[in-house]
Amino acid sequence: MEWTYNLLATPDLTYRSRTDLMNFHRFLAPPKPKRVGSKSLLTRRSAVIGLIFASPWILGFILLKVIPILAALGFSLTDFRMLEPEQTQFIGLKNYLDILHDSAAGASLFGSIRNFLFIVPLQMVSALSLAVVISSARLRNQLVLRTLFFLPSIIPAIAIYAITIGLTDPFSGWLNRLILDPLKLPSSSLREVFPFILALWSIGPTFIIMLSAIQSIPTEIIEAARVDGAGPIIRLFAIVLPMISPAIFFSLVINMTNAFGGVVLLDRGLPFNRSLSPMEGYITATVFSGGKLGYASALAWVMLVVIMTLVVVLFRSARYWVYFPKEGDNEEI
Amino acid sequence: MKKSKRVYTSTLGLRLWEFTGTAFVNLSICMLLMVYLSPLSYMLVTSLESHFQLQDTKAPLWPVKVVTYTYQGIPYNVYNVPTENGIKQWALVKPSRTASDFIDPANPNEGLIHWQGAWRTLDKVYLPNPTLDNFIELWKTVKYIPILGNTLFVVFVSGIGVLCASIAVAYGISRFPIPGGNLLLLLMIGTIMIPDSILIVPSFFIFTRILNWNGSYLPLILPPFFGSGVYIFLLRQKFKSIPRDLDEAAMLDGAGPLRILISIILPQSIPVVTTVALLHFFNMWNELRVSSLYLGIRPDLQTIAFTGQSASGFGSTSEMTQASTVLLLLVPTIILLLSQRFFMQDMIIAGTEK
Repeated sequence: MEWTYNLLATPDLTYRSRTDLMNFHRFLAPPKPKRVGSKSLLTRRSAVIGLIFASPWILGFILLKVIPILAALGFSLTDFRMLEPEQTQFIGLKNYLDILHDSAAGASLFGSIRNFLFIVPLQMVSALSLAVVISSARLRNQLVLRTLFFLPSIIPAIAIYAITIGLTDPFSGWLNRLILDPLKLPSSSLREVFPFILALWSIGPTFIIMLSAIQSIPTEIIEAARVDGAGPIIRLFAIVLPMISPAIFFSLVINMTNAFGGVVLLDRGLPFNRSLSPMEGYITATVFSGGKLGYASALAWVMLVVIMTLVVVLFRSARYWVYFPKEGDNEEI
Repeated sequence: MKKSKRVYTSTLGLRLWEFTGTAFVNLSICMLLMVYLSPLSYMLVTSLESHFQLQDTKAPLWPVKVVTYTYQGIPYNVYNVPTENGIKQWALVKPSRTASDFIDPANPNEGLIHWQGAWRTLDKVYLPNPTLDNFIELWKTVKYIPILGNTLFVVFVSGIGVLCASIAVAYGISRFPIPGGNLLLLLMIGTIMIPDSILIVPSFFIFTRILNWNGSYLPLILPPFFGSGVYIFLLRQKFKSIPRDLDEAAMLDGAGPLRILISIILPQSIPVVTTVALLHFFNMWNELRVSSLYLGIRPDLQTIAFTGQSASGFGSTSEMTQASTVLLLLVPTIILLLSQRFFMQDMIIAGTEK
């Protein structure tokens, strides 16, 4: 009875546009009973339960991230030294001014950015092309291939280092004996080969993320494009790449962080002094050989600001090239 | 009749074309895989070699030994010697620059054979000879059993912590209306990208000077008990995709939040939970940054990655180094191969839901 009343009570229903008429069930629905107080109490209770569940991370965030970062900011304004913490004095921005005159710091920062510009595109392109090839329906044993291409990504960095030492050995190394000597090329050095191998042997997680994104594209879309006459290359650029753009974005974030020395998904245990990011090596050298914690904190803050700027730029750019179909975040939690 | 025959040949041609394409794709992927994994095969092969081979530049790539022949109690190397009757395998007894004396192992009673030519241009005779000597020697010098025990202890204790905490946090932010929940998620993704080096300075000072944790497992084991951003993100993506109807039904039946998590959410997320557990295992197995900061003064607590880095575990020679590397990555490799059906399957990154 109630709903008929509702229908009659909205006399302007006939004047509504067609699209609104499609939603007319909303007008037919009985008005929701409003119980004052009880609902907000219920939400408050479940919010408290949710906070209890989330509390480990919130606590860890404060203890392990916020406090150290703020402490580093505090350290960076002093001449804090490891061995004589009592004689610490506030020196203002002197550490930051010193960085401007420190040519080694500038060189290592630019070295980090150069490595980033070289390694990240290399990893992205190789992981993406590998994922496209492996997702081909012609391949047998996709699972095994997937695992084998992933395998090097779990190898500890120290093992990769040891393997590279042997591989580039001028007498017994395979690299010189099999490739460089027959082609009469100059012999390679460890320093040149190690970043290459480490970069190419770290594409596993991003490769798997992109592969599963490609495999989850509905086949109807691909088939429809095929029927409309799109060839494989057009299908790749017009359908596959836009459809997996969230996965590409996520992979870019992972690779970028790894290139600057962070750890996402897979920790390779790369010692700081062999890090691909020279800035990181320089900071730890300042900490452990000089014990100058204040100066090292200032360096770390400069690096943090550079990285966070890049991250913000990346996230801002996402709206122009990443396709988000109905983000789940906007739904009610 | 004629028409149907033409159709038949064209399908045959199509099939042939398809077959060639498939074979080409499969073959090129196999080639690519071989090149991609060739450093691993270098490591395996070298670990099976004996020491002389790394100084012998003419030795083949696979593990070999030099064939010798014992003549009058003294072993001599056997060479491929070109003679008028083809190539003979003779043992070199008296090397000299222009002419050398050989003995024929087939009939030593003939005595020494004089051969004109430079013996240095000759090739030795090699036989395939993989040996496990490197591993045996490493096992004697490095105490692998306690090291493995240390590593597994760290992995399991921190693993239980990180799993419980990450699952709880992911459940909390995916199922309950926390005020500022979206901000929490953004912060979580943001913290993933914070570089280690900014955290290392203050935390090294706090851990060693204030808490006096130098030489203990606490810096390694305790942080995982607060959950890890990436794992929480992966778990949350999965939990969000599970329909809420089931929780609501269970809630009507009187199940509490913990009960819903254990009986409804977790059984549907086994692949993701397994993935997180495996990722954590690999991470802790490889972990070197924290352990090299705090475990340096306690050799008895060292984990396997630490041993692999230190001089004693590294091995003194090249083939020993490769053997120790094999031992270092043996366990993760086996675990990855065994768990390939679960590992990183059913992962949901934003927008790529199945």
